[in-house]
Amino acid sequence: MRVRRPAGTAPGARTPRPVLAATLVVASLAGCGVLPALPGPVPSDVVPTDAAPSAAPTLDPAGAEGLSPDGFDAVQRMAVRIRNVGCSGLSTGSGFAVDEHTLITNRHVVADSDTLQVSTYDGRDLEVAAAGSTSLADLALVRTADPLPSHPTLADADPRPGDEVTVVGYPEGGRLTITAGEVIGPTTDPLHENLGEVLLTDAPVEPGSSGSAALDADGRVIGVVYAKTSDDRSLLVPVSTLERVLDDAEGFRALPPCARSSEAPSAPPSEIPSPG
Amino acid sequence: MASPSAWPPPPDPAPPRPESAPARTRGRRTAVVVLSVLLAGSLGVGAYLWLTTTRWQEHSASWEDEARGYAGRVATLEAELRATDAELVAAREQLATATARITDLANEKAQLGDENVASQQYLDYQRRVSEAAGVVTSALGACVDGQTQLIGYLEDRDSYDAADVDRFAADVETLCRQASKADDQLQQELRRELDQ
Repeated sequence: MRVRRPAGTAPGARTPRPVLAATLVVASLAGCGVLPALPGPVPSDVVPTDAAPSAAPTLDPAGAEGLSPDGFDAVQRMAVRIRNVGCSGLSTGSGFAVDEHTLITNRHVVADSDTLQVSTYDGRDLEVAAAGSTSLADLALVRTADPLPSHPTLADADPRPGDEVTVVGYPEGGRLTITAGEVIGPTTDPLHENLGEVLLTDAPVEPGSSGSAALDADGRVIGVVYAKTSDDRSLLVPVSTLERVLDDAEGFRALPPCARSSEAPSAPPSEIPSPG
Repeated sequence: MASPSAWPPPPDPAPPRPESAPARTRGRRTAVVVLSVLLAGSLGVGAYLWLTTTRWQEHSASWEDEARGYAGRVATLEAELRATDAELVAAREQLATATARITDLANEKAQLGDENVASQQYLDYQRRVSEAAGVVTSALGACVDGQTQLIGYLEDRDSYDAADVDRFAADVETLCRQASKADDQLQQELRRELDQ
């Protein structure tokens, strides 16, 4: 039997030259593609001009809360010290601003006064224009001729038991003091000075703290300190009562002038008509 | 048994074809051309690679200079930031000290104001007590004068109407009683002040 070789595959057949040339050209071009490109010029400035806002330096959140026009925070700026110069003595209390010319304190702080003197956290004296108290609660309203430094907002509702409370005032008529505690809950007024329930907290207060603002964690007014209990708890007029009283401006009556005690003996007649 | 044998029998090897001389010359020439082209290409590629390497070295050096410049600026800015942070901390401490001092001064002013008011009230009280003491003294003096006068009238009773002398005696008694009452009030007030 005879086997025949396929055509064109005869051993020793040569590669055609055009194919070889084409192969060389293709290989050369492929080799050029593998070669690295020349580098471009180095840019003169690589600083991005449209930096993201978050990359800008920001204030330290821990320190930002202390920023104010003079270094005092709003809690301190709204507090005032009230000196009640009465006809028979002197007493002090606390208060806080509710607008630029109005401050709130207790009725018993301003009662029996001949003169009321108001001073701010930084020792400035403010002239008092008028004062009035309400019979519905142990609250009084004082109008000042001079503007008050700062005033807080009132909370929308009374606090719940367990809520934080901060009291800012002048205990014992001394240094401006901030104390903190928690709301214990509503209770009946043991002094029968207020209509409705009052709030009991464990924030420490002292005589002279009367009229202090009680604030929640957001710095909103939740009540007004008016007394302390025998077990060192504080009693607040709740903000709901405060708002009700503020809404009824007619309920505030001007303070009656104090009655001076008659320590001086009455003068007897100095002359007696002679007989005859 | 027949011995194995190759079947079919291998063909006879073909006799080698003799190449002609022109063909061999053409092949050598082609090989020289191809090798020359390859050599030229290799030289070109080598030159290109040398140029590329040089350019990349320069490029890298430029970037390194740029990076060192920015690193220097970063170091400077970090130092400035640390200094500014230190100043901020110091300023905050000074602010806290200043606010505490302002609070203390406000408290001292308030205490002095309280003392001033209390002193003024005490002075007013002392003035009122002095005035009251003057009134009591005057009343007691009037009482003594009246009683002296009454003694004179009684010693010379015949010269006066008895009813008038009795009325005068009653007035003197009233005056002395009022003076004594005023004196009691004053003494009581002074005792109350001493108790406080």
